[in-house]
Amino acid sequence: MDPKTREDLLKLFQGKLNEAMTFYLETCTRCGVCIEACHVYASMGKVRYIAAYRQEIVRRIYKKYFKARGNVWPSVGDAKELNDMALEELYEAAYSCTGCRRCMVYCPFGIDTQMIMSIAKLLLVGAHSEPEILTLLADTSIEKGKSLDIFKESFLTGIKKLEKDVVKKWKMEAGGTPIPMDVQGADLLFVALAGAHSIIPTAAIFNAAGENWTLSFFEAVNFGAFVGDPGRTQLILDRIVKEAKRLKVKEVCICECGTAFRVMKQLAGKQPFKVSSVTEVHARYIKEGRIQLDRSLLNGVVTYHDPCQIARNGDVIDAPRYILKHLTNHFREMSPDPKYNWCCGGGGGLVALGEETLDFRMKSSKVKADQIKRTEATTVVTACENCHTQLCNLNDHYQMGVDVKFLSSMVADALVQK
Amino acid sequence: MNTLYYFVLIPMVYFSFTVFFVGTGIRLVKIFRKPKQSTSLQIYPEKRPQWLWALHDTFLFPSVRKHKPVLWIFLILFHVCLLLLMIGHLELFGEFRIFQIIPHEVFLGKGFVGLILCLAVLFFLFRRFLSPVRELSVPEDYYLLILLFLIVLFGSQMDWARRWYGYEELLVEDYRTYLLSLLTLKPELPYNVINSGHSFMLVLHVFFANLFLIFFPFSQSMHSFLSLPMNKLRRG
Repeated sequence: MDPKTREDLLKLFQGKLNEAMTFYLETCTRCGVCIEACHVYASMGKVRYIAAYRQEIVRRIYKKYFKARGNVWPSVGDAKELNDMALEELYEAAYSCTGCRRCMVYCPFGIDTQMIMSIAKLLLVGAHSEPEILTLLADTSIEKGKSLDIFKESFLTGIKKLEKDVVKKWKMEAGGTPIPMDVQGADLLFVALAGAHSIIPTAAIFNAAGENWTLSFFEAVNFGAFVGDPGRTQLILDRIVKEAKRLKVKEVCICECGTAFRVMKQLAGKQPFKVSSVTEVHARYIKEGRIQLDRSLLNGVVTYHDPCQIARNGDVIDAPRYILKHLTNHFREMSPDPKYNWCCGGGGGLVALGEETLDFRMKSSKVKADQIKRTEATTVVTACENCHTQLCNLNDHYQMGVDVKFLSSMVADALVQK
Repeated sequence: MNTLYYFVLIPMVYFSFTVFFVGTGIRLVKIFRKPKQSTSLQIYPEKRPQWLWALHDTFLFPSVRKHKPVLWIFLILFHVCLLLLMIGHLELFGEFRIFQIIPHEVFLGKGFVGLILCLAVLFFLFRRFLSPVRELSVPEDYYLLILLFLIVLFGSQMDWARRWYGYEELLVEDYRTYLLSLLTLKPELPYNVINSGHSFMLVLHVFFANLFLIFFPFSQSMHSFLSLPMNKLRRG
């Protein structure tokens, strides 16, 4: 690595050193309480997957360049130089961490490994060593925000094709628009994923509840967050914020995507609209009697996988359980305490990297598969696209013989037509 | 030899306390003046009032109790004994009525506090020799524990000598004269402090304690100040 590159990377590092990050880098006592916290370590048993070890990969560089003793006495903290080998270690640490923050529950100080890994990811972006596909996807999203007019027509045509499927699920009254778009003054802006499965069921539920809603032109997923690039993350987020302000909506509802929900809820800042997850909105409809669900459709034990970014990191814990109570009499918890739920093993961009990470994802999530098996459930429900894909992969790999379903699809299927 | 004793017991003490207070102060001010995190770092479900739960997490280590109960017992013993020893040291400056609510001879605990602390430090140290904590540890972790062990061992030995072996040469009054002279910036070394049979223990105790204080602001020991704000971030 040439000195100029190193200098540039250290500037990026410096930019991440706010108060909380400094707490996290200064404090670890390497007590080892977090050893059992990481699903990758629990499944694979390799020391490099322990949360404190991952953090130390970043912390060693911090000790070298941002602490006085890095010059005076580097060996006391195993301070390491930032070089090509260090970048490889950073890659291994960052892209084997799903950012689930289960280790934060274990740590006596509450050190956030995901946040420390965001330094690793940013340095990789700076060194052009990040997974290219994630940057490409992020750039495509940003481009779409810049030149909406080019995409608008083809998107509208695509949505028109989906409308008849929505009507099939929920008969519309004459004159109704099954998937409204660009509605000024709508109450709710729904931000979905690029895929019919993310739009059709929820559209049917909105229509059944008589919601004054509109579909966003943009997909919810934030690849900028996966790749750990704060600039791109903000640009992708801003597209939706601008659209929500332009349409003057009261609420932005994020589809079943953990990262999108957490980024929107926490990064959007103070806005004239509130941010909800689609699960919260559906639970609200049931509570207000706006939709009724048929409880007789499901047979066998049903369990729910809490997506880390929505539950432990996003506070949507009661809503899915409330919905499931209206869908089945045979609900069984996966973990006695939702904040200890194992990550599915697909977060942090790992599922988005597809086949490339499949082998690792399967090996590193054995504890998740075992946890599901222990529930003896025949249906595993979740409310996150990444988790769903990963759970399906686990189902195939470990031959669990379960049905993996989206919560929103189950609500749509169980809608009682008046 | 007297010069060496003088150096460790007077100028080095002033130097290390200056490094400790100024170093820790500057480092804390620098850290707390950095920009705040704009997003929430909270873990859910939340419990209210959050500040009370943050205090609970900081001082009672519930996550350690849940996941590593044996370590938790030693951690609690270690921190409680450390607090009692700090009180003991304050009492070497003068009598505080508040500490005499439970009437006792200086130090509290009849010598057992130091013994428990020694054992706890040894437990922490030997724990680091076993995998996987061994792979996580860095030299700093060992140095700090070895330093603590030496400080506590030599310090306690002086207490044990008075309490357990009936050694009457170096008394609380001698320490008081020495420490008050340091505090009032008129340093003096009473005859007993540097000429009794156990003076070398006092000198070693103070020497290692000086090293610890000098290293403190630059080490992970800063967790003593940062743990509460960090736990508050997690509790929201």
